[in-house]
Amino acid sequence: MNDEVQLDERVQVICTFGSGVNPCRPVRFRRPNGQEVTVTEIGLGYPTLAGRRMVHVFDVTDGASDYRLEFDSERLTWRLTRQADRYE
Amino acid sequence: MSEFNVAQPLVMHIDLNSCFATIEQQSRPKLRGRPVAVVNRRADNATIVTASYEAKAYGVATGMLASAAKRLVPGLVVVETDPPKYRYVYRRLLRVMRDYSASVAMKSIDEGVIDFAAAPGDIQDRDLASIGHEIKQRLRDEIGVWMRCNVGIGTNRFLAKMAAALHKPDGLDILTSHNIREIFAGLKLQDLTGIAARNEHRLNAVGIYTPLDMLDADVMTLRLAFRSVHGEYWYRRLRGWEVDDAVHDLQSCGRQYVLDSRSLSRQEIMKRLHVLAEDVGSKLRGEGKSARGISLRFILYPRGIWQAHYLSPLPFSSNLAIWRMAEQLFRGAPDNIRLISITCYHLADADALSQLDLFSDDLDTRLMAAVDSVNRRYGARVLHSASTLSLDEIVKTKIPFGSTRYL
Repeated sequence: MNDEVQLDERVQVICTFGSGVNPCRPVRFRRPNGQEVTVTEIGLGYPTLAGRRMVHVFDVTDGASDYRLEFDSERLTWRLTRQADRYE
Repeated sequence: MSEFNVAQPLVMHIDLNSCFATIEQQSRPKLRGRPVAVVNRRADNATIVTASYEAKAYGVATGMLASAAKRLVPGLVVVETDPPKYRYVYRRLLRVMRDYSASVAMKSIDEGVIDFAAAPGDIQDRDLASIGHEIKQRLRDEIGVWMRCNVGIGTNRFLAKMAAALHKPDGLDILTSHNIREIFAGLKLQDLTGIAARNEHRLNAVGIYTPLDMLDADVMTLRLAFRSVHGEYWYRRLRGWEVDDAVHDLQSCGRQYVLDSRSLSRQEIMKRLHVLAEDVGSKLRGEGKSARGISLRFILYPRGIWQAHYLSPLPFSSNLAIWRMAEQLFRGAPDNIRLISITCYHLADADALSQLDLFSDDLDTRLMAAVDSVNRRYGARVLHSASTLSLDEIVKTKIPFGSTRYL
């Protein structure tokens, strides 16, 4: 089974806004414990609704672990909600 | 070959390979290249909804129990379904397809049909195979590098879908009168879309044992096999004529749930049934419909089915009305339940029957409108009945197979 941890951490994120189909790209984030993660690939980014609030979900990886970042477009906050790093 | 449609093939069928598993591998790069199984709930008695091609190579199949699959595949990664992600990919696929023609029909969350007869002239003038390759590349560019699809091209939906199934994953094939005999020679009857065991027996009964036999059969033989006009539809379908483009109104609305434990009490099962009843009510009202019929259908341990129905003299659409009737029907249910389902049928437009509805359900109607409004604003099931408290993480909303109505 895979080792998948559900989280709810407020994180600080650096992202770029460019052109194209997926203009917002998180590049790096810092967790409350001080760990800094550099995103090497965005697997999938997609909007989802929490009521009428739009939350943008980014499934990303740093090559060692897969993470889920969520951007609340109403509150302008980022949260780390999942980490998966061991697939047996 | 007589009466075959020899027009230019203008129907394209697109099918995402192992859809949910592929999307999971796209979104989670560490899953790529690994055997992955997707389940509705991470438990050993969960049924596999779909598996990656790496898992399928070991024999993992849809419908297999996760526990059996894990014995088959060392290192199988089991993940839960993630409906918002799949809905997003579905919408992106739909958007790509609509760039080519106004006539697009999604058959399910992972497959759809483009009819290029309705496409603008400059697109119709293009080679469809090149458009197929372009769509494949766009999925990789616009969704992600791991996304693959099968493309089939034919003169009707049946031949296009058959073509899409010829070379999985990531194939592109065209099926016309020129190559149909060669292709059919390598297939079995149940390889034909729409022919499963029961139809195979019907065909065998009239001396048809292979797809080529079926192709060579005359109209009378096929009518005899299917005992209806469906035989004639098959005759025309096999020859590339379109018979499958009818649009059907909503006939019923329902939901099912595999119980999360064998040791649930009847009260706990009823709470889960209550969640389903509220979900069905929400869907019904969302479609602007009311129902007159309600049915419960349970699958039992170790096997067997229990069913109960009720036809109301007046239409209903409120959660309370649906729940009250379901609760009554549930009293006759046995104990050894594995799967519960609830369906409302005999549907009609809510507006057409609103006069009757008001007399029977006035307070409920206004209350439900308020509840639906709050749930649309703040999120599904923000308001729900007290007895279903804490069940949202257990009875999660799943992706419906077949219907794209609620996506």
